[in-house]
Amino acid sequence: MFAPRFLAVIAVTAPFATATLADSDLDRIPQSATPLPQDDLSPSPSGQVLYLQSDLSLGALRDGLVIPLPPPAPPSWEARIFLDARTRWRLTDNVNFIYSGRFNLRAEDGIAFPSREDVRHDLREGYIAWAGSNGTFLDFGRINLKSGVAMGFNPTDFFKTRAVVEADSADPSVLREDRLGTLMFCAQQDWDGGAVTFALAPQVADETAPYLNTNLPNFNPMFDRTNAHTRALLKVSFHLLDDVSPEVLAYAEDGQMRYGLNATKAVGHAVVAYLEWSGGDRASLVQDATVDGQETGVLPPFTPIPESAMRSFQNDLALGASYATQSEVTLNLEYEYHQAGFSGADWRNWFDAGGNLAIDSELWFIRGYAADQQEPVARASVFLRADWQDAFIHNMELAGFVDTDTQDGSGFLQFSGDYYLSRSWTVGALATTTFGGRHSDFGSLPTGSAVLFKVRRYL
Amino acid sequence: MSSAKALLLSLALAAFATGASAQTAQEIVAAADKVRNPEQPFHVTATLIEYKAGQPTDKNVYEVYSKIDPATRQFRDVMTYVEPPRDAGKIVLLNGGNLWFYDPASKDSVRMSPQQRLIGQASAGDVLSENLAVDYTPTLLGEEQVEDADHSQRHCWHLDLKAAMDAATYNRVEYWVEQDSDYPIKAKFYSDSGRLLKILFYRNFVTAAGRMRPTQAVIIDAVDPALVTTADFGSLRFQDIPDSWFQRDYLPHLQN
Repeated sequence: MFAPRFLAVIAVTAPFATATLADSDLDRIPQSATPLPQDDLSPSPSGQVLYLQSDLSLGALRDGLVIPLPPPAPPSWEARIFLDARTRWRLTDNVNFIYSGRFNLRAEDGIAFPSREDVRHDLREGYIAWAGSNGTFLDFGRINLKSGVAMGFNPTDFFKTRAVVEADSADPSVLREDRLGTLMFCAQQDWDGGAVTFALAPQVADETAPYLNTNLPNFNPMFDRTNAHTRALLKVSFHLLDDVSPEVLAYAEDGQMRYGLNATKAVGHAVVAYLEWSGGDRASLVQDATVDGQETGVLPPFTPIPESAMRSFQNDLALGASYATQSEVTLNLEYEYHQAGFSGADWRNWFDAGGNLAIDSELWFIRGYAADQQEPVARASVFLRADWQDAFIHNMELAGFVDTDTQDGSGFLQFSGDYYLSRSWTVGALATTTFGGRHSDFGSLPTGSAVLFKVRRYL
Repeated sequence: MSSAKALLLSLALAAFATGASAQTAQEIVAAADKVRNPEQPFHVTATLIEYKAGQPTDKNVYEVYSKIDPATRQFRDVMTYVEPPRDAGKIVLLNGGNLWFYDPASKDSVRMSPQQRLIGQASAGDVLSENLAVDYTPTLLGEEQVEDADHSQRHCWHLDLKAAMDAATYNRVEYWVEQDSDYPIKAKFYSDSGRLLKILFYRNFVTAAGRMRPTQAVIIDAVDPALVTTADFGSLRFQDIPDSWFQRDYLPHLQN
């Protein structure tokens, strides 16, 4: 009989029977969210980013320093307005000119206003770029050539020395934004799975002492900061495993070689592990700083060096990982090792040696030299950073980091918040503080706490 | 006819009724992938508009360059940020298991995890081209009548997609593909913990790069009911893209 077989077919096919599904989710689609006309979907990127920013920073100086800071004291306040520009001009199909710079107007505690010291132009980049059709690139001019994969400390970022001008923040990711490039010739060849880069930076100026806030040049490109030594870099990146493409580097400065390695690897869905190492023959931070001070005339010619001057192979290392959560928080934890940094004996010597202005000046010069070179003073530290997009409300970004000297437990702490008021306006604030005993790395610094407020308008 | 033979006939008829198209789950998803994205290297502009409580609040524009890696069949993507001004010039690179973010302000390239593709209401994960048939393992759940974003009824395959690799953007996707046309109609995206994150409707099928394709995706936030994002894809054109583009050393030169 037909009916039972028909019913059997229905029974067997029942799991796959069609059903009507009314979708309540569709009620949430706004009426105005209609498809855009295709003609409206052809943007013309201008190749230019221009913004005006106003900053006000206030700092609280620490009393009772173990080693008094020679004058002048750091400013307790600074007000600044600057125009920041990144742009490129297409000269031909293959040739562009790239400019990146900042024009600053400032008023600061300890500097007369108005005066020529209130005006400054930072030429970050200005170079001609030629692009071949087969992955060949040739650039010439002032170029910010950044290397490295770590977040807090970049041992392979060899062109970072003396390049930071006046940072809004101590956050390493922000320090890299207002940084002077190096006058160089740079050639790169890319292929599927790798690239080789060669950069040659000639010496075009003599070495100078680290600048203070009070003697920054107005419109001088400051090649003495970036091109006081002949430098060359060769780096090769290549495909090794499915998601590992390491980069090896060889760097030469005035005949002294350093080598480097960068590597990253994704671990699971939310973690990226990274390693950045460099090593080479060098003296300690104390030795290098003292010799530099003598050569630039900041320190007297026969300034005693607190430890024996021995060059040896020294290592720098940043080993860390990032972790991204489902609530849009990204955490970075990093161990940093700087073999040339202060040992325990160096710290004891530093704190014990003070007692007169000349010695105090040398001691602070050593630490200032390290900051100018973008070198940590500490031999070992731990860096932890958190970044939270859309924190609490949409378009609010919160970030914070702590950098801790593992030798004495002292550290530097910064919190910042940016709120994107609109497509053009951003407001933000940050606060920093240092903690630790008076005889500690960060606890002995002259600035205890600081705050900064900023307003930014994209033009 | 004996009851055994009747049962066998029923099963045969059932098999014919449901599997007449002879498409496996893998084939259905692969066919829908071809509807969503061209097989040849291409460039597309993605305009994302965010709506909060029905009102437009933000707009992001990206340029996306995509190319299939013939060895893996995964898409390799370079995505540049055009708007808003604070993000202009930033770049995201996706090459197999490698995801990189480049910031022209600091000249810094940062390696990102697949999880970081999901940051933002409509994130890079929703804009970067992806072959779901490669990144996920699909299972056919059945057939359903589904209402699309224009309130039309579509007769669809209902599929469940599980991430086949760590590089997949989401842990799990529910997917509805229209029978016969292979048009993607709707998708639901789930986190590692099984939480529903987004509901996506495809619509505005027009001829682009040689065939009918959806040019708008409506993304409904499953966590915040007031948030909806539309992603309009335009200026879709074939473009020769060298393999050398898909590595981080190239990124600073992309703007040159």
